[in-house]
Amino acid sequence: MIGVLKSELFKLRTTRATKIVVLSAILLPAIIFTLTSIFAFGNGKAGDSLIAMVGNFTPLTALLLGVVGVLCSTQEYSQGTIRITLVATPNRVKVLLAKMLTMIIVSICSAAVLLVLCLVPSQFILQSRDVTFDVIGQDLRVLFSAIILMSLIAQLGLSLGLIFKSSPGAISALLIWPTILEGMVFGLLSLAFKDSNVIRFAPIQGNGFQLVSPFFNPGQNTWLTSLVYFSGFVSVFIALGSTLFSRRDA
Amino acid sequence: MIIVENLTKSYGSKKAVDDLSFSVTPGRVTGFLGPNGSGKSTTMRCMLGLDKPDAGTTTFDGRKYAEIDSPLSHVGSLLDAGDAHKGRTARNHLRWIAMTNGISASRVDAVLQMVGMEDTARTKVGKFSLGMRQRLGLAVALLGDPKVVILDEPANGLDPEGIRWTREVMRHLADEGRSVLVSSHQLVELSLVADDLVVIGQGKLISSGPIAQFMTQHAKTWVRVVSPQFAALAELVIAQGGTVERTKDGGDFHAISAITIGDIAAANNIVLHELSPQTGSLEQAFLDATDASVEYRGQTTTNVWEAPKP
Repeated sequence: MIGVLKSELFKLRTTRATKIVVLSAILLPAIIFTLTSIFAFGNGKAGDSLIAMVGNFTPLTALLLGVVGVLCSTQEYSQGTIRITLVATPNRVKVLLAKMLTMIIVSICSAAVLLVLCLVPSQFILQSRDVTFDVIGQDLRVLFSAIILMSLIAQLGLSLGLIFKSSPGAISALLIWPTILEGMVFGLLSLAFKDSNVIRFAPIQGNGFQLVSPFFNPGQNTWLTSLVYFSGFVSVFIALGSTLFSRRDA
Repeated sequence: MIIVENLTKSYGSKKAVDDLSFSVTPGRVTGFLGPNGSGKSTTMRCMLGLDKPDAGTTTFDGRKYAEIDSPLSHVGSLLDAGDAHKGRTARNHLRWIAMTNGISASRVDAVLQMVGMEDTARTKVGKFSLGMRQRLGLAVALLGDPKVVILDEPANGLDPEGIRWTREVMRHLADEGRSVLVSSHQLVELSLVADDLVVIGQGKLISSGPIAQFMTQHAKTWVRVVSPQFAALAELVIAQGGTVERTKDGGDFHAISAITIGDIAAANNIVLHELSPQTGSLEQAFLDATDASVEYRGQTTTNVWEAPKP
């Protein structure tokens, strides 16, 4: 199992597309965060804790890690290496677990690097500007939520890749569902049911992204409910992707 | 040793492989032949667990492929030379495969040298010609120093030197006591290296056994005769049940042996300049054996390209 895991990590390290997306997932929020530290907070006080502000960027990083998850599975099909992977490791459950663990490792490492890149320079910048701020304050939960959200969306991407077997289809589903379709569907549902709070049933916007929010308004799901709801949503795709991967001819 | 028993695989209503059974013996090169769409690649994929057969089993030295620990050390395979990420270097391509089976990086370098790719080890696969990809595919097959080697069209895209090298590799592997199963459309090449043949058509077994046995069963035989008194000899041979086909400088006699023709000529004082038994090529024998099971047949060039008459 260790060998298969090492192999999966090596595969991700040795393709340009995955490296670019992982770097974008980390550097993009880090750059925006640094620029925010330089130019914002003219009143001399950062309203939120720094970690809460990092949480605001987490959905972007998570979606890009989801794309890495997609590539982790679809590149195997598009390049034909899936046949070699399964010839080298005929136990498909082992291959699947290695891919899932790989995405968890990538998510945790990305989250760690993102936090360092966001928090360390911004503290120096804000101190030099005499801006008062909290690093973590009451928002320690956001730190763990960020890792959980990134890991879950990376798993969602991996599963979508296994279901679609092609990058365009899986990436479209991963990006269009939370950014466009979910808003439209739940907007229509709120009109139909005359309930402005229907969005709490939206798996990604209403629950997944909500995990990293420092505030929970009344009427929204609690953090734990959101975690269970979103995990359940991702689990459905993991189950479907795993079943197809195990049963389909390579 | 590979034993394939009653292998059956359908895609929808089409049976790609139909109750196929054969074996591949250690120390011998077994050629796997069949027309396009006859089920060769499907059979190989089923053997390696890539496709799930509807029925039947394949065992490698008594074990199913999925039950083998570190399978690359037992079975090496080349199914498609294109199965490599174009953005990875040749060495990295082999390294990720080696990692799955605990094969060392030094072995990766050794196989790269073995296939003559040590100078291109750090070149990306996307820049390789088809021939180089075939060599890389062979390196993958040999990575675990396996006892069984399965190769699907290994000489595709290789230059004459590469083809000869592939042939020598296969012969060498068999001489070391390994079981080698190789599918190829290059029948002349296969006839030079194969000891046994497995011939299939529309998923069914047509013939299995030593190449000499296949030739005896399926290759045409005739007797070439050149004689200044050919017409007289032909008349006598036809009377004995033979048939005659005239050629430029003599003729070919069918359905009669060279000994009988020689006896007839001697008994009738007929001068012979040539009397030689002829055997058809493996290609002709293969075409005759699989004629009934050819699924995709092209038109002759003249039929396709003939200009319409006004």
